[in-house]
Amino acid sequence: MARAKLSMRERYRLLTRDLDWEPTYVEPEKVYPYTRYEGIKIHDWDAWEDPFRLTVDSYAKYQAEKDKKLYAVVEGFAQGQGHLSLSDARYVNSLKLFLCGVTPLEYAAHRHFGFLARYLDGPGARFAALCQSIDELRHTQTEIHTISQYNKYYGGLHNFSQMHDRVWYLSVPKSFFEDGISAGPFEFLTAISFSFEYFLTNLLFVPFMSGASFNGDLATMTFGFSAQSDESRHMTLGLEVIKFMLEQDEGNVPIIQDWIDKWFWRGYRLLSLVASMMDYMLPKKIMSWKESFELYLEQQMLEGLFPDLEYYGIRPPRHVQQAITEKDYMSHQVAWILYQFSFAANFNATVPPKEEMDWMSQAYPDTFDRHYRPLWERARSLQEQGKRFFFQGLPMLCQTCQIPMGFTEPGDPTTLCVRTSEYRGERFNFCSDGCKWIFDREPEKYVQAWLPVHQIYQGNCGGTSIPEVLEWYGIQDGVDNGEYLTSPDKANWDKWHAPSVVGGGVS
Amino acid sequence: MTVKALYDYDYPSKDRQENFGDDLLVNVMWANNMMFCAPACFRAPKAMSFADFKSQMIDSWAASDPDYDPSTPRDWQVNGKPFSATDGMSLEESGVGHKGLFVFRT
Repeated sequence: MARAKLSMRERYRLLTRDLDWEPTYVEPEKVYPYTRYEGIKIHDWDAWEDPFRLTVDSYAKYQAEKDKKLYAVVEGFAQGQGHLSLSDARYVNSLKLFLCGVTPLEYAAHRHFGFLARYLDGPGARFAALCQSIDELRHTQTEIHTISQYNKYYGGLHNFSQMHDRVWYLSVPKSFFEDGISAGPFEFLTAISFSFEYFLTNLLFVPFMSGASFNGDLATMTFGFSAQSDESRHMTLGLEVIKFMLEQDEGNVPIIQDWIDKWFWRGYRLLSLVASMMDYMLPKKIMSWKESFELYLEQQMLEGLFPDLEYYGIRPPRHVQQAITEKDYMSHQVAWILYQFSFAANFNATVPPKEEMDWMSQAYPDTFDRHYRPLWERARSLQEQGKRFFFQGLPMLCQTCQIPMGFTEPGDPTTLCVRTSEYRGERFNFCSDGCKWIFDREPEKYVQAWLPVHQIYQGNCGGTSIPEVLEWYGIQDGVDNGEYLTSPDKANWDKWHAPSVVGGGVS
Repeated sequence: MTVKALYDYDYPSKDRQENFGDDLLVNVMWANNMMFCAPACFRAPKAMSFADFKSQMIDSWAASDPDYDPSTPRDWQVNGKPFSATDGMSLEESGVGHKGLFVFRT
């Protein structure tokens, strides 16, 4: 006799929430020891609305099909030498940034959502964390598969995990995420699910995936589409989690406001790497960082989301005005940092070609011609004289965001900004009021920061000379790093695209 | 505010001066030259004279810009205050301190 099939909703109820029980032999505080000390009060975990509403079997079936389709596209692209139809080899630099900077964060997210899948009190919240944990592991794997094909032909991609742990500029994403996973579970959810996956997600994801699409990278673009349904679930979760916490207790509001203030600035500073990638590493531009910031942050979030959150007593993030002021120059400041420190990075940088500089003049009418074009033109002229400009030394770093102190005073793009705090008789330096404010809230935490420059000087990075440090990073000098125009990536690209000679073969 | 934690949260600073022995970390900014994206950070002995620090460390870094003329730095500041080095003054005596900042213009 055929059995009646249960509805999805019913299966979800039976297989997730219905399998939960109240512990009676052990105090709930002992089973779930991490959900009280941050000061967040949850009175009713059942009020959690699960945006996933999936069961493990349906999740596995659906995602496996999706990943198989992606792998078929990636395989076809690789077999057909798809990399040859990119806009330019220079585009691959954005993949180097993505694989070394973002993919390891997916893995860290996988681990921490796994932790939450055990330690949140409510079964709905635990199950949502479980699904996201598996999503993040899948994204780690699919990103590695999608980008690994480029490793056969281009530099800088061969040991992304080691580089993430060691290379100076990758300490920016690494320390960002470690700040999150070393916080309590509710702060982590505000930091990653809300601030990163909801509030700032389009600013991160769109540049890479649209960048792939505009620059002929069908493989990475397909990854982007494939991950999109997961990402939209993560966004829903991010908004759900913040509303859930705000609705549970009025006393939660100031705590969450404080975290929103902190994680907006942390995330925004991290995105400065994406801003410079977007404006400088994509040969075919999507839109400028400034336009992207206006669309995704100012219009969608400040005008769309925050008026809704005002109902709960939440105001726009502290220091957001500074970010708005910086939209005219931040990407240029960070590109300038990356240009002169590319000798110690796993990507190549170069002066933008003339047409791209003209595009920037249009996109940044108030700042580019006045402040940055003269710098790039001088750099080009030095390069033509055989004196490619590099910063011959190590930079002063911000204690909080760990980016070289290349940001300027609010509204004055010619004066570098330096803020300091003293804690237990020791001086600490910051790039901005936002980073200083974050340090001053929790100095005990940030005094432990692993600052790449100071670690090199303490002898903890393979030695104190540049060749020793590069070797410790896993960067092959002259292959993975430095100037783009004289790089093997450029030489190979030119060779592959040289007009073919009748009777000649491709070597 | 302090870190909220389930246990006593107290760890030493990773870059405390004692980790550098007889040396200091000293930062230097060339204020009116945007070619340098950020100030530089050096490790130098406390007992080193400021004059040696300038000629051995600052000059070779600043020469990344081929237009640099070692005789032109002026308007020195140490940690935001006007500064002029007296003969033989050491870094320790200059008052810059660990992770402090010298600024000059040209």
